[in-house]
Amino acid sequence: MTPRYDVIVVGGGHNGLVAAAYLARAGRKTLVLERRHLVGGAAVTEEIFPGFKFTVFSYVVSLLRPEIIRDLDLPAHGLQILPLESTVTPLDNGDYLAGWADPDETRRELCRHSPRDADAAAVFGRLMHHMAMAVKPILGMVPPDLTSLSPRDLAGLLKLGGHFRSLGPERFHALHKLMTMSSADYLDEWFEFGPLKATKSASGIIGTFLGPRSPGSAYVLLHHYMGELDGAFRAWGFQKGGTGGISESIAGAARAHGVTIRENAAVERVLVKNGRATGVVLEGGEEIPASIVVSGLDPRLTFERLVEPRELPDDLVDAVRRFKFRGSSGKVNLALAGLPDFTCMPGEGPHLRGAISISPSVEYLERAYDDAKYGEFSRHPYMDIVLPSMIDPNMAPPGKHVMSIFVQYAPYDLNGGWTDAKREAFGDAVIDTVSRYAPNLKSLILHRQVLTPADIERMTGLSEGNIFQGELALQQLFFLRPLPKWANYRTPIRGYWQCGAGTHPGGGIMGASGRLAALEILKAGS
Amino acid sequence: MSERVSSTGSANAYDVIVIGAGANGLAAATRLAQAGRRVLLLERADALGGQGAVLEFAPGFRAAPLGIDPGWVPPAVARSLGLESLATDTSDAPLSVAVAPGSFLTLSRDAGRAAEAIRAHSAKDAAAWPAFTARLHRLADFLGALYQTPSPDVGLTSMADLPALARLALKYRGLGPRDMIEFLRILPSSVWDLLDDAFESTPLKGAVAAGGIQDYRQGPRSGGTGYVLLHHLVGAPAGMVRGRLPWAGGPGAFTAAAEAAARRAGVTIRTGAAVTRIVVRDDAATGVVLANGEEISAGAVLSTADATRTLLEWVDPVWLDPEFMHAVANIRYRGCTAVVLYALEALPSVPGLASPEALAGLVSLTPSVRALEKAADAAKFGEISEHPHVEITVPTLRAAGLADGGKHVLVARVQYAPYALRDGAAWDAARRDALADRVSAAIEAVAPGFGGRVRHRVALSPRDLEERFGLREGAPSGGELGLDQILFMRPVAGWGRHATPIRGLYLGGVSAHPGPGILGGAGWLAANRLLEDGRGGKGRS
Repeated sequence: MTPRYDVIVVGGGHNGLVAAAYLARAGRKTLVLERRHLVGGAAVTEEIFPGFKFTVFSYVVSLLRPEIIRDLDLPAHGLQILPLESTVTPLDNGDYLAGWADPDETRRELCRHSPRDADAAAVFGRLMHHMAMAVKPILGMVPPDLTSLSPRDLAGLLKLGGHFRSLGPERFHALHKLMTMSSADYLDEWFEFGPLKATKSASGIIGTFLGPRSPGSAYVLLHHYMGELDGAFRAWGFQKGGTGGISESIAGAARAHGVTIRENAAVERVLVKNGRATGVVLEGGEEIPASIVVSGLDPRLTFERLVEPRELPDDLVDAVRRFKFRGSSGKVNLALAGLPDFTCMPGEGPHLRGAISISPSVEYLERAYDDAKYGEFSRHPYMDIVLPSMIDPNMAPPGKHVMSIFVQYAPYDLNGGWTDAKREAFGDAVIDTVSRYAPNLKSLILHRQVLTPADIERMTGLSEGNIFQGELALQQLFFLRPLPKWANYRTPIRGYWQCGAGTHPGGGIMGASGRLAALEILKAGS
Repeated sequence: MSERVSSTGSANAYDVIVIGAGANGLAAATRLAQAGRRVLLLERADALGGQGAVLEFAPGFRAAPLGIDPGWVPPAVARSLGLESLATDTSDAPLSVAVAPGSFLTLSRDAGRAAEAIRAHSAKDAAAWPAFTARLHRLADFLGALYQTPSPDVGLTSMADLPALARLALKYRGLGPRDMIEFLRILPSSVWDLLDDAFESTPLKGAVAAGGIQDYRQGPRSGGTGYVLLHHLVGAPAGMVRGRLPWAGGPGAFTAAAEAAARRAGVTIRTGAAVTRIVVRDDAATGVVLANGEEISAGAVLSTADATRTLLEWVDPVWLDPEFMHAVANIRYRGCTAVVLYALEALPSVPGLASPEALAGLVSLTPSVRALEKAADAAKFGEISEHPHVEITVPTLRAAGLADGGKHVLVARVQYAPYALRDGAAWDAARRDALADRVSAAIEAVAPGFGGRVRHRVALSPRDLEERFGLREGAPSGGELGLDQILFMRPVAGWGRHATPIRGLYLGGVSAHPGPGILGGAGWLAANRLLEDGRGGKGRS
């Protein structure tokens, strides 16, 4: 019997959907299997409390690759990114630090705190722009295997070397610094105003188990500038209808190209015969044959759960075991009866249509990290807060609001493990800390949902609740992501591929992993 | 602008002035003199040796405070200086770690014996140990190869470098696929992860991890500590996971031999000659001015002082581009090590330590990686660790001559003692004594009765190390070993090949590639560069 599908994609997260859409667009009969009742993985919108819709796990978007938006015509399928107006950091002295959409306004604001930093910010922004340009081609490159002497890998290495040479020494050195330094040290070279450095360095720690003074955190700073580069939207944006809307638009594009998507279809394991993938078995026993199976799950699930370790070489099994996940962030979603009133900017204002960053100083962030290093959640965590209902009123009933709080650090490996009591204590620490800056918050809360990394793992399947499918650390990037020799989306099992954020370039709602994997599959098949 | 004296190359008494008579200065001066240059070597202190200097810290008691790890002489330097015959003390210098009072894990250099000791803690770790140390050494060996050539750099590498590059590429390939990857994976990794992946035994991990934080103001959990561990293992004999072998003739043996080599080659050495300025004319270094006002002219200057002092304090800023100066000003030194020297009436008695000879090796008093990390937490906020990491050795067990009358010296290296204290607090005597008291208490905890055997105690804070050894911010590293400050990024991006924007001025100290602990490494490379550039005249042939 001829299989009905050429390709089965396991996991309907955004990367799985992107891969499926590209494969179907090239004529492959493609089936996406999603365990949950809705697609999107960690990029979903759900009505957690009646009338209140939440982007449950993620919260903002900046990285979705423009070529994907273009190739899949996502705006036609509902993609609509609304800009976030600002970033406001409340300070401990009652003042604030704001960055606005209007560069002139931001400059005036920075001048208020440090004229020197206002000047430096302009130069810094230009450098970051160049650095983002320097990294962009690498994001679109299939990592070569540097131990191999095959023409394909050697060509890849040469291309990479050529790229670095073409940057010239100055940009190459600047890139090297960004890749290896801590965000705090990097920013110390540029700025003097503490809260500015803290707020900028915070973007270097999001989703990682690093502090702002940990080497390697500077690289993630770049991500802030990646979106700007494409001109499609500013640094951070918000999808209409929540982040789930992005997944919906990709799913829509995929369906338009003929992809079949089955929800509530949990894959038990991938069928392997003679070192070759032949299909999948669902929980419940249903077998679906296909000559190509693509896993959009993280490396641990891809190599340890979906297939038998005995199908894999020992060194790969070891490498998977060493791959670091270490979820470090939690999420608190609040249904509010009204708007929070921030002491530093009283009343309703444009700041409520932007992000509020709780990052008063680098030391504050570093102490939050120290708690987590020893297995405790941060007593005073770093938080990035948005009110999606201020941007898209459909997210909450009239006059009411939803507040989305990204919280760090909440270590997956909490001392004694996560319990209901610990989760609530964590939620209380978050609310108490926000209340220091917005005292009326507690009186507004109608409902609250607290998600720990353990919850994120349970609900989305992401190992250890890591939102990037694996730590974005230098030793887990590019040709080491997820595993050396297998960074090219292949696996040792023929016909079994990987396309999740655990592969290069990984992390963020970027879709690049899914696209690159699909293009490799098509290249290999032709 | 007041200098109107015209000095031509032929009028100079010297072709090259080398500043600083540590290992790098001696190596550079010797190399240059051997190539026919007339070399003047200037040393600020009264004695030679730089970081390897031996000082009498109490009447009849001597020690090399920064010489716990004597460092490694690259073969090319040893050949050039005729030091191949300089013997190391090859007796087993084990690494011990306090597991609990009265209990130690002692790691012999012999992998089999070490594995035997580890077995008491974990059979699995014992089995993994020999392969683990062998791998570290293979990777450190490759680093050693990188350390003996100018570092490859995008845009600066010319056709002339291709043979050396090809040799490096072949050597890298020679590691084999597994180690090629491990090398790249370990450099940015933390020792915490590296050891967690390899072992389960807490004291074993603690013992090795301390190598990853040596003189580095980061904890073992920070990325890049994997590199630091490897860096300090370059040139170490097989089986050793901390440091290299001491010299058979005592800590001063290297300096004495290097000085003899320099004199043989015809180098003029002046001690007590502190440089205060480098004279630049028309973008070229033409000499130095000493603290007593004396000006000495030469065709080129090679400084082994740190990059910041050399370029920002000794050179008139009019000669340098502001961006370059900004980069130099941003070099992170961040000294965080203190040293406490003890003059002892008798050898301390350490219950549970394998043998008294173990004290001749390195004894770490920090039983876990976690405790190291905790000690590091304080430093990032400018505070002194409440429970600092202390490691001790008794050098008189190998070099009895360091103390008169059969007495002993104990050297304790202590982290973290950050140079820059919170809110600008001063490293005054009270702080220094408080730290030394913590160190004494930590030693007393494993060696009851220790305090009663101490005749003198001298503590050196990073501030003291700065003054005594001329180390900026008290950092023996000459710029911390972050991945952004090594190889072609050392001392600053684009200037990793020992030249500076000023013609005829070269950097050859630990601030330059390949950095600390590689005796003469930077000086030798800088001297080669100077010769390649044809600076300092042709000399008298």
